Amino acid sequence: MTEKWTSRLILGLTLIFLIGPFLIIIIAGLSAGQSLAFPPDGISLKWYLKVFEIESFRDSFILSMALAIFGTLIALALGVPAAYALNRYEIPYAETIKTIVAAPIIVPGIIVGLALLRYLVLPIGLTVTLALFFAHTALVLPYAVRVVSSSMTNLRSDMEEAAVLLGCTRLSAFFKVVLPNIKGGVLAAFILGFVTSFNQVPVSLFLSGPGVRTLPIDMLAYMEITYDPSVAALSALLAFLSVGIVFLAEKFLGFSRYV
Amino acid sequence: MFQNRKEGFALALPAALFIGILFLLPVGILLSEAFQLDGGWSLQGYIDFISKPLNQTVFLRTLKLGFLVAAVSAVIGYASAFCIVNLDPKSRGRIFGMVVLPLMISPVARTYAWIVILGRTGIVNDAIIGLGLSDTPIRILFTETAVFLGLLQLFLPLMIISLVSSMENLPRDAISAARVLGANWLQVFTKIILPLTKEGLVMGGTLVFTGSLTAYITPAILGGAKVLMLETLLYQKVSVSNDYVSASIIATILIAMCFGTNLLLKRIATARE
Amino acid sequence: MSSPYILLKDLTLAYGDMVAVPKLNFSCDKGELIALLGPSGCGKTTTMRSIAGLLAPQSGQIYIDGKDVTNVPANKREIGLMFQSYALFPHLSGFENVAFGLRIKKLPEAEIVEKTNKGLDTVGLLHLANRKPSEMSGGQQQRLALARSMVMEPKVLLLDEPLSNLDARLRLEMRAELQRVQRETGITMIFVTHDQSEALALADRIVLMKDGLIEQIGTPDELYNKPTSVFAADFLGFENIFEVSNNVIIGDAGKMSLDFKSESGHLAWRPSGVKIGQGKYKAVVKSVAFAGERREYVLDAEIGVIMADVSAQKKSYKIGESLAFDLPKSEAHFIEQAS
Repeated sequence: MTEKWTSRLILGLTLIFLIGPFLIIIIAGLSAGQSLAFPPDGISLKWYLKVFEIESFRDSFILSMALAIFGTLIALALGVPAAYALNRYEIPYAETIKTIVAAPIIVPGIIVGLALLRYLVLPIGLTVTLALFFAHTALVLPYAVRVVSSSMTNLRSDMEEAAVLLGCTRLSAFFKVVLPNIKGGVLAAFILGFVTSFNQVPVSLFLSGPGVRTLPIDMLAYMEITYDPSVAALSALLAFLSVGIVFLAEKFLGFSRYV
Repeated sequence: MFQNRKEGFALALPAALFIGILFLLPVGILLSEAFQLDGGWSLQGYIDFISKPLNQTVFLRTLKLGFLVAAVSAVIGYASAFCIVNLDPKSRGRIFGMVVLPLMISPVARTYAWIVILGRTGIVNDAIIGLGLSDTPIRILFTETAVFLGLLQLFLPLMIISLVSSMENLPRDAISAARVLGANWLQVFTKIILPLTKEGLVMGGTLVFTGSLTAYITPAILGGAKVLMLETLLYQKVSVSNDYVSASIIATILIAMCFGTNLLLKRIATARE
Repeated sequence: MSSPYILLKDLTLAYGDMVAVPKLNFSCDKGELIALLGPSGCGKTTTMRSIAGLLAPQSGQIYIDGKDVTNVPANKREIGLMFQSYALFPHLSGFENVAFGLRIKKLPEAEIVEKTNKGLDTVGLLHLANRKPSEMSGGQQQRLALARSMVMEPKVLLLDEPLSNLDARLRLEMRAELQRVQRETGITMIFVTHDQSEALALADRIVLMKDGLIEQIGTPDELYNKPTSVFAADFLGFENIFEVSNNVIIGDAGKMSLDFKSESGHLAWRPSGVKIGQGKYKAVVKSVAFAGERREYVLDAEIGVIMADVSAQKKSYKIGESLAFDLPKSEAHFIEQAS
């Protein structure tokens, strides 16, 4: 009996430490007063509403969304064929290719941002937006390859051969037989990539210009000016967004199977 | 049908080229810059960098915090993971989900919460003053303690996940058998649980340690200019003093530390007893 | 003379630099049921895959129905293949699995439905049309795979180890099913197996392969009773094979003189052909196993190990017991091949 209660106490404290802070910012954002405080000075929704009126937040939200969606789509367009090739074929330099594709996980993001700024944006004149797009795509690519690969390992290659013998071309065999059986993995990769890209900070630190800032960077910049509860409200909204997406993915896809 | 090596290579090539050209190449040039001085190859940049007391302090602090966060998360991680593994499957899934959840949330949001908790008018200071422990708010924000707490909250889930997955393979009977043979809990831990979950510990340790070394947001928000870590120092070098050479040097140090940790811990994990 | 339905001419197959099948020549007529028999690694599956078009030959030609199909891609070759793992499409229902190829052909919907239902009916799966393959038993999955190949009305049906994944009872059922389908449609079938009893039971003709080469081609009768090589004899159950020279048989352990005249070459006896209890040779029982009707002995003789199996009705011997045995001329099979 005591063991059971000890276990509950340990888990309870751990979860309070991990999740408690979110509850606090959700509530802090509900403040009716002017400054960030907990417990808040009265309750109102005004900060939650104000978030939508701050123009820079709106612009950076759109940029972050676009980066996350298109960056992940391109990462999948590159990553699905790569995962397929690495699983199906005995290709030359397979280990080298795997190492290259996994590199963005190991290299600290801030260095990537700096490198792209110095050697792509400044000398060549690449726009900051395009550099951001490249960086976010590269960042998501390893996850796309890994998640799609793991959903492909149980897929036997003779299924494709069967499809070809029934009249399919290689390409249509991929779309008719392979893709339907890995679509859960592809969707999981998309969600994981989206969340990773959307929440990404270090890579984007140096990649910001006039009017071009990802949302997290914009929030950091806003916090340097003022500690009003709007950032708390925005943080809470973003947390709901991420949790909502992951919750739906888990419910309809069994997301955690793939990650 | 899949003997065509060229076909397979062609399918994998775009991804490798994309990362190679747009990612590795610029990073490689950046790193090589740290070894160049006055047009020649040299380690002088490193010697100058390390000889500055501020840089030494930041370097050691980064190491210290990384190590502390990894160690404390290992302790909490073992306790939590052990409890989670022993739950019934249904509540186990639910609790595990709650542990994973924070990973999906923006680190900015996760770190921001600590301002509310640790700030001058935050919960902790309210409590301290309310209890009469101090008349004026004490500074917690912008101290190493704040950074430590922020990093711990950020990376603890990674440790718990690694340990839970390695503990799932732990033979349940082994623990009972050891207990029956008269081992106390400490002996059970050091003689059975630890050796059998070593891989999970190393994996989690690598993730937490390198994560802490390369975190930017937490030291930036909770440490500020007072508690610089290597990442925040790098940012400062570029944005305040336009010192790209120092930035490259810090970048090299960071990457070397990450790779070094990966290799070292992997070796420990695969070493024989 | 009519030309053969399938003709493999100097077919050389390789994986990279490793030649699996060098210069294979083989032909068969329409409606024949051919078994490619041999141990694993003998090139039988490789040969089958190249007939299907899944493996391009390094050199040589494949003719089907008088047409050179060597360079015809697999999806245009109109050949059916039933995979050992069945290779069903897990995301599609039984009906859609069978309809798959018909849809690729873009047949009118009504025709697809009619043909698919007929195909499912033929293998007795019409009532399971809406089930996914994962909800079917092993035997049902295999019949579904058969139906999926057969609705395409292929020129040739290839089968990879068609009975190996089934238990003993289902194996008999499936064997009957394959023979029935073959009889009713008159389709040419080539199946790959490593099990001599399967090949003997099903095939019209057996192609025995070893190391990428054809060892012997013949009817089951010919292969069973008249293997032309030591390998063929061994593979088809002659477990006692000895070199013979000047009327002396030479075993691993020693020599014995033969009590009848024989040319030089090899002599082979099945275990059932060895006589026990009488004869001029002596041996010690090394082990004995009771197998219902028969008793299987391993004997330690002067020339080496002798396998014998005799009716369980006869006198039994214990391990370690000495006995007399004979290798009778009437049961001996002579192989010309020298060592």
